[in-house]
Amino acid sequence: MTEPLLSVRDLKKHYPIKKGLLNRQVGAARAVDGVSFDIAPGETLGLVGESGCGKSTVATSAIRLEEPTAGEVLFNGGDRRGATRNDDGTHPNDVTRFDKGELKAFRRDAQMIFQDPSSSFDPRMTVGATIAELLSIHGMTDRGRRRRIVEDLIERVDLSASDYDRYPHEFSGGQKQRLALARALVLDPDLIIADEPVSALDVSVKAEVLSLIDDLQAEFGLSLLFISHDMSVIREICDRVAVMYLGEIVELGPTEEVFHGPEHPYTEALLSSIPTPDPRATLDEIELTGTVPSPTDPPSGCRFHTRCHRVIQPEDMEMDQAEWRRLLTLRKRIESREVDVEQATENLALDDEPDDLSDEAIKSQLRSEFELEAPLDSATAEATLETALDRLVSGDADGAEEVLSSSFTTPCETTHPEFVDHDADHKSACLLHVDDRPDSRIGVENVPQ
Amino acid sequence: MTPDTDPLLEVANLRTTFDTDGGELVAVDGIDFSIDAGETVCIVGESGSGKTVATESITRLVKSPPATVTGSVRFDGEDLLEASEERLREIRGYNIAHIFQNPQEAMNHCYSVGWQITEALTIHTDASQEEARAKAIDLLDRVGIANASSRFDDYPHEFSGGQKQRVMIAMALVGDPDLLIADEPTTALDVTVQGQILKLLDDLQEEFDMGILFVTHDLGVVAQIADRIVVMYAGKVMERGDVYDVFDRPAHPYTQQLLECLPGTSDSIGGIPGSLPSPTDPPDGCRFAPRCEHAVADCEAGGQPREVEVRPGQAVSCVYYQSGYDASVVEADTGDAETSRGVGDD
Amino acid sequence: MATENQDRFDRVDWDEIAASRGRDLSVNTLGMLAFAVPLALLGLYDWRLVDEREATFGAIGYDIDITSLEYLFVFTLLLFAFYLVLPLYQNPRRTKHYWTEFKRNRPAVVSLVWLAIVFVGGLIGPLLMNAPQQDILISHQPPVYLSVDQANVANCVGEIANGRCHGTWEYPLGTTNGGRDVLTGIVYGMTTTMQIAFIATTIVAVVGISVGTVSAYAGGWVDEVLMRITDVVLSFPTFLMFLLILYIYGAGIGMFILVFSGFAWGGTARYVRSKALSISEEEYIKACRISGANTYGVVRRHVVPNTASSIITQLTLLIPGFLLFEAQLAFLGIGDTEVPTWGQLISAGRSDLAFAPWIVLAPGIVLFLTILAFNFLGDALLDALNPEAQAETDQ
Repeated sequence: MTEPLLSVRDLKKHYPIKKGLLNRQVGAARAVDGVSFDIAPGETLGLVGESGCGKSTVATSAIRLEEPTAGEVLFNGGDRRGATRNDDGTHPNDVTRFDKGELKAFRRDAQMIFQDPSSSFDPRMTVGATIAELLSIHGMTDRGRRRRIVEDLIERVDLSASDYDRYPHEFSGGQKQRLALARALVLDPDLIIADEPVSALDVSVKAEVLSLIDDLQAEFGLSLLFISHDMSVIREICDRVAVMYLGEIVELGPTEEVFHGPEHPYTEALLSSIPTPDPRATLDEIELTGTVPSPTDPPSGCRFHTRCHRVIQPEDMEMDQAEWRRLLTLRKRIESREVDVEQATENLALDDEPDDLSDEAIKSQLRSEFELEAPLDSATAEATLETALDRLVSGDADGAEEVLSSSFTTPCETTHPEFVDHDADHKSACLLHVDDRPDSRIGVENVPQ
Repeated sequence: MTPDTDPLLEVANLRTTFDTDGGELVAVDGIDFSIDAGETVCIVGESGSGKTVATESITRLVKSPPATVTGSVRFDGEDLLEASEERLREIRGYNIAHIFQNPQEAMNHCYSVGWQITEALTIHTDASQEEARAKAIDLLDRVGIANASSRFDDYPHEFSGGQKQRVMIAMALVGDPDLLIADEPTTALDVTVQGQILKLLDDLQEEFDMGILFVTHDLGVVAQIADRIVVMYAGKVMERGDVYDVFDRPAHPYTQQLLECLPGTSDSIGGIPGSLPSPTDPPDGCRFAPRCEHAVADCEAGGQPREVEVRPGQAVSCVYYQSGYDASVVEADTGDAETSRGVGDD
Repeated sequence: MATENQDRFDRVDWDEIAASRGRDLSVNTLGMLAFAVPLALLGLYDWRLVDEREATFGAIGYDIDITSLEYLFVFTLLLFAFYLVLPLYQNPRRTKHYWTEFKRNRPAVVSLVWLAIVFVGGLIGPLLMNAPQQDILISHQPPVYLSVDQANVANCVGEIANGRCHGTWEYPLGTTNGGRDVLTGIVYGMTTTMQIAFIATTIVAVVGISVGTVSAYAGGWVDEVLMRITDVVLSFPTFLMFLLILYIYGAGIGMFILVFSGFAWGGTARYVRSKALSISEEEYIKACRISGANTYGVVRRHVVPNTASSIITQLTLLIPGFLLFEAQLAFLGIGDTEVPTWGQLISAGRSDLAFAPWIVLAPGIVLFLTILAFNFLGDALLDALNPEAQAETDQ
């Protein structure tokens, strides 16, 4: 295999959370928590995930706009090819260890495009001057030459050379993103990191900018790290795609394979949520329950298990997967003391039979709130749930928690899944694939066309 | 749909202009549309097409001056453009509710969300504090805020983007509105959350029998939620019709190109070349003509072509559908788009 | 290699350029250097080689002495010319936009004309007129077209009719009780006014911007220390401080400018700091940093220009305060008597207010108009330079 242009190994970025007078660190938001991927020369890697999953932080840490907490970012572009490790195990091409001079040279080889066209240019400078500034930062003193280069480049992104002297507010969002692309290109980089470059744009403009990116990439052999929350955009432009959830990559593979055969339940859910431009399409979307947990205290085991619709059942129980999901959700909510018995009672009082405020009625009210109508498929589960609800209604939340957490367990919350290789280059981190389960291949039927 | 019942909202010849230094800016230039009770109408268009101004003109939310709104907006038989400011305040948020693109900006960060909902309730009804609180919790519960009673006293920043939009919807539902105007409510949200919000709106529409006027530029969302579509471009309506008709047989070249822009619909990616015309100095003829691949001389003279009904309920404003033209030139099934393009260039 | 090839972004030999390490100075910097360096040399010569009592150009036969205040004044004028006026000329479109916005405010245009008169008068007036001389013989002459009871004028220069002394064109605005020409006094006062305006704003701007940006970008304890100093500056009783210095060492107009501008930069520093912090989140700043620009470059090219409009407004509104303060000090009799200022004139005329009101009124009106003009100008600049300002003040 040829040497990758960019090779990120176990990248971490933790933001310390400080409290008190002395600014003591009390914890850390683990925005990026051990991410590894490679980008080959000329390749486009998509990085996809919901907002808050840390995908932008991967970009800013890899390009050292922020200092990463740990990990290696090997960049083999420019004339750095074929370098080997030093004796002490460090790598001469490790961006995180570049000194000032090396970093400045690296800046020429890796550039970035940002999301918001309205803030991507200095409102008080002409766009031409803003782009030419990069050339002058890197020592090009010939004013005329700078201007000629920038004018040529502005024409390459389908604007006219006379736009050099115009101000940012005179351009539309799409035009500004073209200019941002020109700025990213002007130093002739090998790698461009594009952080949601089209998500603020209209559909018609979005497609244009995407095709421009595609053309320029082909013409100049650029590598692209393309960050987006929009699966349909990723599909248009990326060769491979990495799916991120809560600071970790959960699936990585060739775009077509990931879209046709997602191996991780999260990928599957993301794919199912792409709106299809077909009014006849039925909504068979996988609804993710709950919200993304906080990165300061990520869930144990598989980080996705609190929302996963395929969360693994214990050996001794056999029930409907959706019902199992709801049971686990109930358990989590009781553990975090978010189940409000009083509220259930009140709701009951508002309903039809205000006289019947017996424990039984409250229990059934709670059950219907969580869509756990009696009886459950599994008799043991039913018995456990009843006991727990009894305790909860009688005010013993600790007891309820104890009952539930001792029997409703899943390996997903204890074991952190390692990557499992599927086909060439396609891997995912899900326990479903670890245990040689017969149903390990998931989701093929749910892919929208 | 039945002609003998009046629509819930009927907008006729709505025109909103702004006085600017550069002259009169015509944001909305004489548009008509109607919404029936329990129906979802989507206004689709690029940013700058005037779709937001159009919806804000309905309840005169646009700041006036500099804006001037003319035409007629009949809501339940009452012309809102004639109504007093006092009457409008009653209607706004009660009979007609708004939700906006950015829930962050639509909420007051100094007050808890519960307080904000109960405030809206006590403005419009004479409910007591306790009743208002109970109702507010009920509403939060209905829009899917888990554990509503304990989140009642939380502040907006403690909610995620999707949850904030849910709270906004709860606020909008306070007055049991007949019409909900939703201006790009999912654009700022993640795609996973977007689906949930659309589903919620769908459910609530059934429950409250609301008409929904939904503004978006995303045709994927339109397909999911709309009953009927109004396609706007540069302040004018290009095409309108039933969602199935417009998606299956888009009549206007602009609609066709919008649909082609969608990822995954064609092999090549490419947008619509050119950009929106200046709203202070719109071109003669069809507004889309300067960007239209089929444009002929007649497209660029006179005013916007009058609307022609191509099939029941679907109308289009394009010269090719008027007598004396061959509509097959622009009438595209996606299949023969290439051939029709060739004819249009002549 | 063909030039066409050289002028494409992907045909640039960056290794060669990186190795060449040329310096790229802008026209503005070159111009500034061309004037400032000789000025600095002259100053050095004046300081080290010329005797304190001797005139600067005494050695070549000219009896022109340059005071340290004048060095500073010329230096600030150069700064304004090369970093404020020249950029306006270099960006004609932007300047035109500012001008159209500015033009809307009619009083501001009138103010600008008035300030231009004061500026030009202050700059070239002293070259055309001799400094007002004391001459008891011609004291209390009335202004032209006006007359005063003959009894009040010891020696009327103009004609005397009906027992009243009429003013002449020789002394268009009359004379003081010491016989100094009021008009000349006002023109010489313009010079001082302009010196106060330019030097004080330059000091406030330089210190305020430096402290603000350093504080924003250094962070940590540097930020903490600088901001606490700013707090002190903001709450310092400058007037008392000035009185103290005055009584211990004596203080001229130079000391006045130094002390008052030295304690006036607090607001500017705070503003620049908060603006710098908010701008650093903007994507164009990130894009600039990712291009390898150092912090100084980012601050100079992006942060300062983006705070400039508000700072200019702030400074314009600061000047009237200085002028008023100077006049008040002079009126109280603790100003610099060496320098002709409007305040001195007003103070000189206060005892004769009953029969010779022009001595107070003429400089008083000029001072009033100038202060009013600066205020109008500040308001208009706020609107013209900063379209967002309207929205900000609305909130």
